[in-house]
Amino acid sequence: MLKTCCRSFTARLICLRSLRLLLLPVCVICLIPVAQAEGVRSAAMLSHTCAGCHGTDGASAGEAMPTIAGMDKGYLVKVLEDYKQDLRPSTIMGRIMRGYSDQEIAAIASFFAERPWVSTERPIDGELAYQGELIHQERCESCHADGGRGQDIRSPRLAGQWGPYIQYALETCRARGESCKKRQGAERVMVLEDAEIQALAHYYESQK
Amino acid sequence: MNPSRRRFLGSLGRAAAGSAAVGLLGAPAILRAETPKARVVVVGGGYGGAIAAKYLKMADPALRVTLIERNPVYVSCPLSNEVLSGEREMESLTFDYRGLSRRGIAVMGDEIVEIDPEKRLVRGKGGAVYNYDKLILSPGISFDFSTIDGMSTELADSTFPHAWKAGPQTLLLRRQLEAMPDGGVCAIVAPPNPFRCPPGPYERAAQIALYLSHHKPKSKVMIYDAKDAFSKQGLFQAAWKEHYGDMIEWIPAAAGGNIEAIDPNSMTLVGAVEDFQADVINLIPPQRAAELAVNNGLVDASGWCPVNQQTFESTLHPDIYIIGDAALAGAMPKSGYSANSQGKVCAMAVAAAINGQPAPVPSYVNTCYSILAPDHGISVAGVYELKGGEIVSVPGAGGLSAADADAHTRAIEVQFAIGWYRNITADMFT
Repeated sequence: MLKTCCRSFTARLICLRSLRLLLLPVCVICLIPVAQAEGVRSAAMLSHTCAGCHGTDGASAGEAMPTIAGMDKGYLVKVLEDYKQDLRPSTIMGRIMRGYSDQEIAAIASFFAERPWVSTERPIDGELAYQGELIHQERCESCHADGGRGQDIRSPRLAGQWGPYIQYALETCRARGESCKKRQGAERVMVLEDAEIQALAHYYESQK
Repeated sequence: MNPSRRRFLGSLGRAAAGSAAVGLLGAPAILRAETPKARVVVVGGGYGGAIAAKYLKMADPALRVTLIERNPVYVSCPLSNEVLSGEREMESLTFDYRGLSRRGIAVMGDEIVEIDPEKRLVRGKGGAVYNYDKLILSPGISFDFSTIDGMSTELADSTFPHAWKAGPQTLLLRRQLEAMPDGGVCAIVAPPNPFRCPPGPYERAAQIALYLSHHKPKSKVMIYDAKDAFSKQGLFQAAWKEHYGDMIEWIPAAAGGNIEAIDPNSMTLVGAVEDFQADVINLIPPQRAAELAVNNGLVDASGWCPVNQQTFESTLHPDIYIIGDAALAGAMPKSGYSANSQGKVCAMAVAAAINGQPAPVPSYVNTCYSILAPDHGISVAGVYELKGGEIVSVPGAGGLSAADADAHTRAIEVQFAIGWYRNITADMFT
């Protein structure tokens, strides 16, 4: 019925008017939970507040702040929920994520997962990146497949990520010891030397 | 939104094929394209205005967006305290508007002096007229020197810089510190609430002490305060002690820190109880909304702009929106990140109003970093929501860096402060 009556623009307007009468009772019902809470905040409304630190649409301008655009949705939900519940140590993210419901966290994760990944664009120390690749192939490739381009609910994309962020993340995990050990691959992070962390950071940033 | 409701709306949207419930589902593209392009004028290209202009274009590329800014370049106030210590150059704080032009925003170099809400136009200093359907002001602050006898705009420019708008006064204060003898006193006069950047005077004390500790270690930094408490106080006082010993001293109002007058000839600050002499005086005056807002009937008795806190539309004049430091925004502090967050909420509200949609339910965040030494950063965060028409903090969220954080965390917070700066300025200008 709709397909046939909504072909022209004028017909659509007429059709819309009659449809509105039909839809009204349905909409009143579906708005009730909205009115009880202070309202549903859109994914864009929620996610734009992240851009001040993580860049417009989650593509970070550097260097300690990670790009979050194009990451696996399940991974983002897990990380943000872990921040909220204080299961993942942080300087500031725990304080922020406690301000959002689980539904809002899912909306934020969807918003960024749907945005395009943007790799960094700057020259990298080739020698350090080469050393990083050796470490990566030996100890990291099994989860962070395809040179860190692969990702899933447990492993974030690393290729093209800001090196300084990767360095701080690895150093922080190593410094936390026990509280980080529960995470996949953490026992391998614990034994990394400073120079190895630096090399890995250069390697991942060099992979686009 | 829960999944079942999303599915329901999704199927409804497809079935309606052009959408009957325009208000609920958003105007379909075909209707939007038929609407004559609305004109939105944004005045002030800083942390609020640049963002409002950019996110308006992102929300609805069909809008005609004009950004009017009196300066050809923007100088960031956040991180400008690092110029005082010598850790940063002014160049790294300076941005142009080419990135916003590339997004299709008309960037006009003009100073708006008059708003005519009846005719819906603003007038520039030289007489140029800009018509609007919706006007967004992000005008910033102005200074009220009247509470300090002997103080004036001229003295601020020549002798007692506030350096509370980054630019020539920042460099003047830096030169004064360089010229100060070892063993001298630098006085910071901190303003009463509310004011731009609540942690700013106390971060500044640390950055000045950082410079003095290397070059003039016998000197003192005295803070004379109109208040008895300040933002992140415990974290600041612990860091001052840790890095600078007794160099920084804070005199609250209750101990005579409130300054009532200044004598330029003897370099003396007149307090309620006693007078204080100093070699360098950084007097940060009491503040109110910028002259543009004051002179055009957009402020209330408080000196700030009352707004609908869901949309930032003025409660005094319809179709005029005010964001950033000038606005009365409930629990949000007057900060760059607040202005950024408000700019986005306002842009989405203005785009919705133009497209005949209801005002969106808002979400706001604030994040402020302070750098107290090259390896010591602290932060405050706030997550806000609208409750009963007021912006309030979400209970249980936000707060300060841990008082007992280890050295690794403090050092990483400096890197995050710099990353914050890179991203928030890229969000504004690219």
